[in-house]
Amino acid sequence: MKESQVVNELFEKWIEDAKTKLNEDNFFLKINEYLESTHPEICGKCAPCRDGVPRLEALLKEYKEGNATLKTLKEIEDIVNNLRSSRCSVGLDIGKNMEVVLENNYHLLYNPVKKY
Amino acid sequence: MAKITINGNTIKVKKGTSILNAAKSIGIDIPTLCYIAEMNEVGFCRICVVEVEGEQDLVSACNTEITNKMVVYTDSEKVKEARRASLRLLAQKHRFDCWNCPKDGMCEFYDILKEHDIVFEEFGPGKGRYDDFIDGTAINQDQTKCILCKRCVAVCNDVVAARVLKFRDDDGLNPIVSPTPELSFDETGCIGCGQCVKACPTGTLFVKDHVTDVEDMLLDPVPVVAQMSEEAAMIIAEELQQFSENVNVREAYSTIKQMGFSDVLDVNTAKDMVVLEDVSALKHRLENGRDLSLISSHCPAAVRFTELYHDNHLNELSTTKTAHMAQAKLIKDVLDHKAKVVSILSCSAAKMEMTREELEGHVDAVLTVNEVMKMIKHRYLDKERHEVDIDNGKLQAALSVASQYQGSILQVENVLQKLSLDIDNKPLEPLNYTVIAGDESKASKGVIKEAKVKIGDHKLKVAVVRGGAQIKAFYKMLEVSNKTYDYVDMMACPEGCTNGGGTPFEHDITTHEVIKKRIEMLCQHTDMAQYDPSVSTRVLYEKHLDHPSSDDVMTLLHTSFSPKESTKE
Ligand code: SF4
Ligand code: SF4
Ligand code: SF4
Ligand code: FES
Repeated sequence: MKESQVVNELFEKWIEDAKTKLNEDNFFLKINEYLESTHPEICGKCAPCRDGVPRLEALLKEYKEGNATLKTLKEIEDIVNNLRSSRCSVGLDIGKNMEVVLENNYHLLYNPVKKY
Repeated sequence: MAKITINGNTIKVKKGTSILNAAKSIGIDIPTLCYIAEMNEVGFCRICVVEVEGEQDLVSACNTEITNKMVVYTDSEKVKEARRASLRLLAQKHRFDCWNCPKDGMCEFYDILKEHDIVFEEFGPGKGRYDDFIDGTAINQDQTKCILCKRCVAVCNDVVAARVLKFRDDDGLNPIVSPTPELSFDETGCIGCGQCVKACPTGTLFVKDHVTDVEDMLLDPVPVVAQMSEEAAMIIAEELQQFSENVNVREAYSTIKQMGFSDVLDVNTAKDMVVLEDVSALKHRLENGRDLSLISSHCPAAVRFTELYHDNHLNELSTTKTAHMAQAKLIKDVLDHKAKVVSILSCSAAKMEMTREELEGHVDAVLTVNEVMKMIKHRYLDKERHEVDIDNGKLQAALSVASQYQGSILQVENVLQKLSLDIDNKPLEPLNYTVIAGDESKASKGVIKEAKVKIGDHKLKVAVVRGGAQIKAFYKMLEVSNKTYDYVDMMACPEGCTNGGGTPFEHDITTHEVIKKRIEMLCQHTDMAQYDPSVSTRVLYEKHLDHPSSDDVMTLLHTSFSPKESTKE
């Protein structure tokens, strides 16, 4: 099974079961794997997807490195919402999936930065 | 007709209208960035997104057609957030050095960031998307500033037909807009028209800068002569006077004179000579067979286009030099051997032209209108000090007051005017043009029009061709139809020099109100019927040269062309 398929299956599970929660380590790893798996599909034409996905990756890296703040989280939210203004279903789907991720795992993103 | 509600206003609009245009029709502006009407409706930037009731996702207003009963919100919080997010993403990959940027205060990207109050980290001179710099004798590209809107690509392909710029998205995450990788603009077949520069909303594409060279020249004791086209003078005056009702063109001359040029001349004498030379070529054609067309070569970009892409038509080009080149040669060879000559034009292609082997040493630099405005800023020149004395001494005596054969903004009419005066001894009747390609109300995409006229016993057929894509279409038409024209007035910029690559940027390049006004003004101070053969040009020919097309004249006023190659992947 290709890696991207594994990730997509994981997403399907998330979407089916809105209660699925991941632990922190697993979460950032999986999200990164997922985002990376979208790279070959990105056509590069529209800004929200072409520039949004790499920016998301950079922001998640800030979490991993312990540099994230509330601002980081806010920007992640903005970028995810904005994926819904993409030009085609590639970006729109990434947006939808990421919305679910945010909804279901908000605590993982919020807890580390709420002190800021 | 379809009913649509925008921000609570219900209106009826034609089916097929875009949301953007429907909103515009009731005075609601939706911001755009990658959009050029009918040229680049690609939906890349997503700045124009709006909310449509019943749709989960935001849709781009510029390229989404309305549907019946559609309910649209153009400025909901969701919409504004999305616009800000996209702009922030673009800004994060842009190198900001606005104070030093070739866009020089006329940047559409800057304006839209400001309108949306964009704040983001890493503000300040950042690295930008890519760090390549692509060189060219007329056009340069600084990849640190590209926002990948594709506007330049659309223009270079569809309006200019040179196909130099391409949106390269083999690597989707890192697309790049550029000429053929590793090559300069010139090597990829650029004609220097600068239409891409005018279309670029950022300072990514810009016209090669000669300001530093000229400022250095002015520090030297060697006299530097400026010669300025009428279009350039008009536009500089426009800029100085902010479009006041009556633009005073002389002010452009006096302001430039203050910069330290030894003389500031127009190029009217040389333009007259170009007309005379072309008239003599036309007469030759009429007497010696008309199986080839005679095509003007007064636009260096059109000449380059022919050399690169249609070299089978090179023998149809008039060999007369462009006016500023002819006059520069005249100044240096006949009038003042020491002087340096700087041409001030609305044209960017002349920068490429001056590097031609055949024209070596003619002019020492070419300044565009935009560069002159920059120099005026550098020097803190007093723009209010009108009517500075601009006594140009002996050059003025030899080279001004001409303009006998320039009653019209169209070269073809000036040539026919002179022919009519010579043969019929009366001014030319106004020409009736038929548009055969393009649309004059959308002249920014170029046009071909033709007219017939009788002069003496000759029935002449002439054409006006504007825009590279139309030049291409025109050559094709000549080839399939076996038609020939007695004179073809050919220029690469869609509306000629009034819209040249060195003119100020218009945010909406499909609106040619400004250009129309410019043409009206240019026509105002020349009078078609005015004709006094006793002055300048005639005197100049008599004093320094032989009659048109004589040997002497050939070396000074004529040039040659040869096929050129380009590499496109
Ligand atoms: S392109 Fe615009 S925003 Fe960018 S540096 Fe130039 S002026 Fe500033
Ligand atoms: S200057 Fe003209 S030919 Fe050259 S890249 Fe720009 S639009 Fe194309
Ligand atoms: S060079 Fe300019 S016009 Fe072309 S894609 Fe980049 S920003 Fe847009
Ligand atoms: S202006 Fe509509 S997507 Fe760019």
